[in-house]
This record gives sequence, C-alpha cells and structure tokens, in this order.
Amino acid sequence: MDLEELEKRVTLLEDIQEIENLQRIYAYYFDLQRWQDIVDLFSDDAESVEIVDHGLFKGKEGVRKMYWEWIGRGGKAVREPWVQFIIMQIGAVIDVSPDGQTARGRWQTWLCEAKTFGAFPRQEWLHGYYENEYVKENGKWLFSRLHWNNTFCSPFENGWLKTPLMGLMNYHPTIKPDAPPTAFHPYPSGYHLPYHYEHPITGK
Amino acid sequence: MATLEELQARMTRLEDNKQIEKLQRIYGYYLDYHEYQKVVDLFSDNADSVEIADYGVYKGKAGVKRFYLELLGNKPPRVGELSIGMIMQGVVDVDKGGRTARGRWYCMMIEARSTLSLHEGELRQLWGNGIYENEYVKENGKWLFRKVFFFLNFRTPYEEGWLKVPVVGQNGPGTEVPPDAPPTFYYPYPSGMHLRPHYKHPITGK
Repeated sequence: MDLEELEKRVTLLEDIQEIENLQRIYAYYFDLQRWQDIVDLFSDDAESVEIVDHGLFKGKEGVRKMYWEWIGRGGKAVREPWVQFIIMQIGAVIDVSPDGQTARGRWQTWLCEAKTFGAFPRQEWLHGYYENEYVKENGKWLFSRLHWNNTFCSPFENGWLKTPLMGLMNYHPTIKPDAPPTAFHPYPSGYHLPYHYEHPITGK
Repeated sequence: MATLEELQARMTRLEDNKQIEKLQRIYGYYLDYHEYQKVVDLFSDNADSVEIADYGVYKGKAGVKRFYLELLGNKPPRVGELSIGMIMQGVVDVDKGGRTARGRWYCMMIEARSTLSLHEGELRQLWGNGIYENEYVKENGKWLFRKVFFFLNFRTPYEEGWLKVPVVGQNGPGTEVPPDAPPTFYYPYPSGMHLRPHYKHPITGK
C-alpha cells in the first residue's frame, strides 16, 4: 500500500461522515423550520424531492417550491412555539460510488410532531424510510435527490394500527408537483421501499 | 510520526467499525421486511448462535436457519403485521487481531403483531425496547454475524405502556421448532436485571 491508496481510503471514510452529518443537519433544520437553509443543502443540479404524498418536485426549482413555498409558505409561516418536527435519523447505510463523486443512502426515520392538521393542532407519530442520493461539488456533499417514504402518520391518541394515516397532505391551491407521488403506499399496504444496495455477502 | 504500516492498521480498524455498523443496520432493514433468507446469509457458516428474547438458543448455522426460516419465516406475514426495529447507538469494538468484534446496540420497536402466539390471535400495536450484544467475524475481507443476542426489555401494548404491561404475550420457547437450549437471560422489565456490556470501562479499564 502506498500513500495514494491510503488517501483514497481516508477520503471514503470522510465522505461517509460528511454525508451522515448532512442528513442529520437537514433534520435539525426541519425542526428549526429554517426552510431556505434546507433548500441550500441541495445541489443546483438536484434531480428531485419527494416527501409523503406531496408528489414529485423536479429540479432545484422544485426543491424550492416544496420547502420554501409550500411548507414554509413563502417565508410567511409564523413559527409557533408549540409546533415541532422532531426527526430522528436512524440506521444510515451509505454507499459512495467508486469515483467518489456521488453516493446513495438509506435511513429510517422516527418522528414526533405537533402541528396544525386541518383546523386543529395535532400530535402525531410518524415513521418512514429514506432512499436518498448525494453529490460532491467543490469538495462538499449536497443532496441531489431526496425521497422520504412514509410508513404511517398516526395521531398520538390512536396509534398506527387504529389510524395509519391521519389524512392526506397532497393538496395545495396554487403549488402543483411535477408528477404524482411515485410510491405512496402507507401501512398496512405491506409496501417495501427498494434498497439501493445489493446483499453485502451474496451480492444479490 | 507513524509509519505507513501503522497508519494502514489504524485505517483498517476504522473501516471495520464502519462495515460492522452497516452490517447491523442492513440486518435491521431485512428483518423489517421479513426477508429471512437474506438475514441468514448475513451469518457466518461457523455462526455460534442466535437468541432473541424468550425464544431460546438456536445453535450453529443450522440453528440460525431453523430460527429465521422455519420458526419466524414459516408463514407469510399477516396483513397488517408490522415489525419495525430501529437499531441505534452502536458501541462496536474490534478485538486485537482484527478478526472478531463485538457490538452493543439499542433497539426500539414499532410493531403490530399477534399476541396469542407467533401467528395467531388479535393484532395489537406495540412498543418494544431491548439491547443487542452481538458478535461479528471477518471472513474473506467481509464482516458477518457470529452471534446475535437480543435482550428484551419491554414489549407493551401502545395503549398501556411499559409500567402497566411490561410484556404482552409469550413467544417461546417454541414447540414446533424447538430451540437447542432454553433462554439464557430472559428477564424483562421490571426485573432489574441488567445485560452486561461486552466492553470494559474506557477510562478505568474495569
């Protein structure tokens, strides 16, 4: 082994660490409701973002529509002190491509939320899986594609068995996605979100 | 200043840790989806055992297959069956020599399962919690499970909570696919029994 090979291996470990941090920082910004900061975690060449049943938003413009205009109400959202999005990012499986320029990651997420749903403040548990893509630009890792697939969104009072889905969130009077949701099949559908990786031993 | 060889050894240690963390998380994702053959393929052919909660000890790779394929996987999951395991907070230690390793993890579970037996009875929504103390082995440059041990702390109906109902239902030891030995450490909450960590105190060494 020479110094060059060692540097490659160090870089790979650093890449994984930076991607894990990026994903976790995203969640903290979400809880802090810093929507522009979230948009800035995406590459200008981002492919798409898809969350729950909102539909598929394409390109960096789609990313801005999703977080800044829809969720952040174009900067007009008042940050109520009781509103919270505790997003626990768990179980990272990160695979960096051989050239070190792109990566993919699976995570699972456990959420503890309080927000207005319909006309009422509600408290809910959510679970879901991410299959995300990342890209390295100018030495920094960014999101190139984010997909969060929702398992359930259940009122605290009922739980996932009684109320798998509190309701739909797919309507906005003016903002429309570029395409409908690609994989919105909440519990108890039994839907499996495909893994980006092969079996680590059998390769299948 | 370290030599290149020393740096390589330190690098390998970090990579081993990363690979074991990944193995453990991938194991969790396969279990969530009831993909038991894929789980079995994560074990070494020289696996020691698998022991989960009150199911008992299943020994060797043959036992691993019996446990996952014949016991857990003998029927397709019921509609509405849910078993999400969130495996968190790994403390992974690679042994001197770099061929074996041990890891402790929390697992928080979100479930909907039968409570009369493995496949029968009312489906109920449950919170679960427990601790893994697992062993890993490196073969042909890849890390595999040598031993999986899961200590169940609580498995409680969503509506009740762990203080009122620490454990709902009983899983084992099974009669149809019996274990090789009874459970070695099945003491759920509030037994006060603690699963001993594999590691020594990082500062005092005790």
